Amino acid sequence: MRLAVVFVKGPQVRFVSHLDVQRLFQRAFRRAKLPLAYSQGFNPHPLISFATALSVGMTSRSEYLDVTLTERMEPEAFIKAVSPCLPEGVEIKEAFDMGESRKSLTSAMRTASYRAYVNFETEQSRESIESAAAKLMAGEIVVQKKTKGGIKPVDIRPMALELRLDELEGNRAVFFIKGVLSAEGGLNPDVLLNELFARNGIAADNETERLEIEMDRSALLN
Amino acid sequence: MDTDLLNKVLKTVEKPTRYTGGELNMRVKSLVMENGEPRFRFALCFPDVYEIGMSHLGSRIVYNVLNERDDTYCERVYAPWFDMEKAMRENGIPIYSLETKTELDKFDIIGFSLLYEMCYTNILTVLDLAGIPFRSRERGESDPLIIAGGPCVCNPEPVADIMDVLVFGDGEEVMDELMDAYAESRKEGESRLQLLKRLSRIKGLYVPAFYKARYDAKGCFEGFDKLCVDAPDKIERRIVKDLDAAAYTGKLVVPYMSIVHDRVALEVFRGCTRGCRFCQAGFIYRPVRERSPQTVIDQADDSLDCTGYDEISVFSLSSGDYSHIHELVPIILDRYEKDRISVSLPSLRIDSFLKDDLEKIQKVRKTGLTFAPEAGTQRLRDVINKGVTEEDLLRSVHDAFVAGWHGVKLYFMIGLPTETDEDVLGIAELARKVSREFYSMPKELRGKGLRCTVSASTFVPKPFTPFQWEPQISVDEVLRRQALLRNALKGIRGVEFACHFSETSRLEAAFARGDRRLSEVLISAYKNGARLDSWDEHFNKPAWDDAFASEGLTVEQFANRRIRIDEPLAWRHMDAVVEHSYLVREHEKACSGETTRDCRKGCNGCFGRRAAEFCRIKEQEV
Repeated sequence: MRLAVVFVKGPQVRFVSHLDVQRLFQRAFRRAKLPLAYSQGFNPHPLISFATALSVGMTSRSEYLDVTLTERMEPEAFIKAVSPCLPEGVEIKEAFDMGESRKSLTSAMRTASYRAYVNFETEQSRESIESAAAKLMAGEIVVQKKTKGGIKPVDIRPMALELRLDELEGNRAVFFIKGVLSAEGGLNPDVLLNELFARNGIAADNETERLEIEMDRSALLN
Repeated sequence: MDTDLLNKVLKTVEKPTRYTGGELNMRVKSLVMENGEPRFRFALCFPDVYEIGMSHLGSRIVYNVLNERDDTYCERVYAPWFDMEKAMRENGIPIYSLETKTELDKFDIIGFSLLYEMCYTNILTVLDLAGIPFRSRERGESDPLIIAGGPCVCNPEPVADIMDVLVFGDGEEVMDELMDAYAESRKEGESRLQLLKRLSRIKGLYVPAFYKARYDAKGCFEGFDKLCVDAPDKIERRIVKDLDAAAYTGKLVVPYMSIVHDRVALEVFRGCTRGCRFCQAGFIYRPVRERSPQTVIDQADDSLDCTGYDEISVFSLSSGDYSHIHELVPIILDRYEKDRISVSLPSLRIDSFLKDDLEKIQKVRKTGLTFAPEAGTQRLRDVINKGVTEEDLLRSVHDAFVAGWHGVKLYFMIGLPTETDEDVLGIAELARKVSREFYSMPKELRGKGLRCTVSASTFVPKPFTPFQWEPQISVDEVLRRQALLRNALKGIRGVEFACHFSETSRLEAAFARGDRRLSEVLISAYKNGARLDSWDEHFNKPAWDDAFASEGLTVEQFANRRIRIDEPLAWRHMDAVVEHSYLVREHEKACSGETTRDCRKGCNGCFGRRAAEFCRIKEQEV
């Protein structure tokens, strides 16, 4: 059977890379003595796949992976078995049976929302930040993107669905960002924010949290 | 610790999980005991980067031993990589422990693991980033006690001015005594000097400040004057007698990032009976002490259960010599096959190669095969007492090729005592025969293409070996012999050549045999910018050249000089238990090309009169 798992990646493990998160789960599942299914071939590995990677340094309230088991296991029993085997900062929120579905989690992703906690070097006013954000979202947002073929200009505006200032107090602010996230790629919220700050000559650093990945569950399970 | 600032910095450095801690099985303890008394805080520091330090079995054992104590909380510290050191300095971040992110100067004791000479400058990086004075004599009552253990302690002199106390021998044997004495001293409200005196009375502990070195007119080390009457004349190495009863790693901390030895290591025995004359480990870990297969399996079960690793490595100086190897390997293979756990057997010697077991290992996963003939001719192999013949090697690689392997590594050394060009060319001859062995096999019996790597490191004379008096050959001569070999290997099908950079080997030789004056050289080199010297690509030669020059010393006087047999050695006060006269005898035999038997085949008398006290090889034979 295939189980989808929704997990939290907390601040304690924010710097653990995607590859290392994959190994972390492989080891946790082995410690939990799950009936893991393995791939065929010369170097068999457990069948675990992740919906998407999370940038190093970001935290997340809902990341997705799926794991194939050789025996049926109730989602609740699965959570109970795995939870004690996870390191601090990683927590399973939900697990659900994927039934006969052969679709990948990646194919069902639609959008993702983020919250960014920003520290400005100097105090900013709500009006200036809001007007800067509105101006940014009003036209093309061309950024230089590193690709295999070198650095290329890319317009990220079509992928940016929402940029909103939620809180501002002194030089601390909280932004809400929503962007496309699909098998073809998605919005990097930090790139959007950097562009906002760079265009307006604002010095700031930020920590970003992924709040949610919107999954089309009906597309996934049918 | 300002965690916001730390997080900001961690975003900018390579491999940030080197510096975050929080791994599974990391020990978490309160800073106070149930009775309200504070715990002693011990920072266990491996002076190299995380992925190296976390791979070291010894410090992982000590981490467990210290944390088993209720009165102690042991945390880990590793040396920062260049980018992190720079970022820490720029942002005013002091070095901190991984467990609680506590600044190092707040600890009671800082313990360093000294595994190789080229990590010494990293000790200074750690002390510097903690704001702790480098020299023992500059530290006061409120500074942490700075101690060190590990194999390099067999000649502690190059770090003698830096360390307060050195621990000679098996750490798990002595750490409890050390902590008990420390606790007692604190309870009594003793001064730092009183604490050092107390510690110097424990067998295996060395307090360098109680000894003053003397040098003759030519600048050669002459001897010590004791500055404290109670300090022992000789520091006897501590030896765990029963490995079944000894502490092991316990709940292994599971790193997030890949480390060098990222698997469960099962230590099946300590020591080695072969007596290869260049090998320091072969002398300073005597006698051989084995773990019973049952203990090994129990520890394997526990380690796999608490880590979720999918790989086990059978670990020792020469795994094929484990007397229960034929019993153990099939058991582990059968036991864990269904859990898809692969088993690797490093440090296998040619002559102990296990053909049947090899086929089984292959069933699970194929790892690389390594052979270490060390020298190219039988004459030189006899000199170094490497009891391996060309036939042994060729038979073993043949078996490996038949079993489907096509990648082998051959390890050699250049510059061994008495080596001639003929010996160097002999390495190429041996590689040619290995290549022929492969390609003369029918195509359907062997793998696709041979990948044979010939690796030649530079010989480094080490204390407590029969070659401790021998000079290292000069850099020019190393380069000439490497070129000679590279040339001779050209055109041999399937063979590649890899050789170690010789500057670091030269410095390693100087620090291995050096005396106390090198402490100042070390500090000076650090100030000149020397860091992480074992990473060849970052080796800072001018920093070292200037450091030696400013102290009026040369690398050559330590590395390239033949020490007379009757000369006082800088490590004469360290008693590794192997008798000095035995090493002299082995040196003579080496010079005449005479071999010494494996001590499982009969005692060679290396412990002299103390054999009965320490060595139980005979009992194990039965």
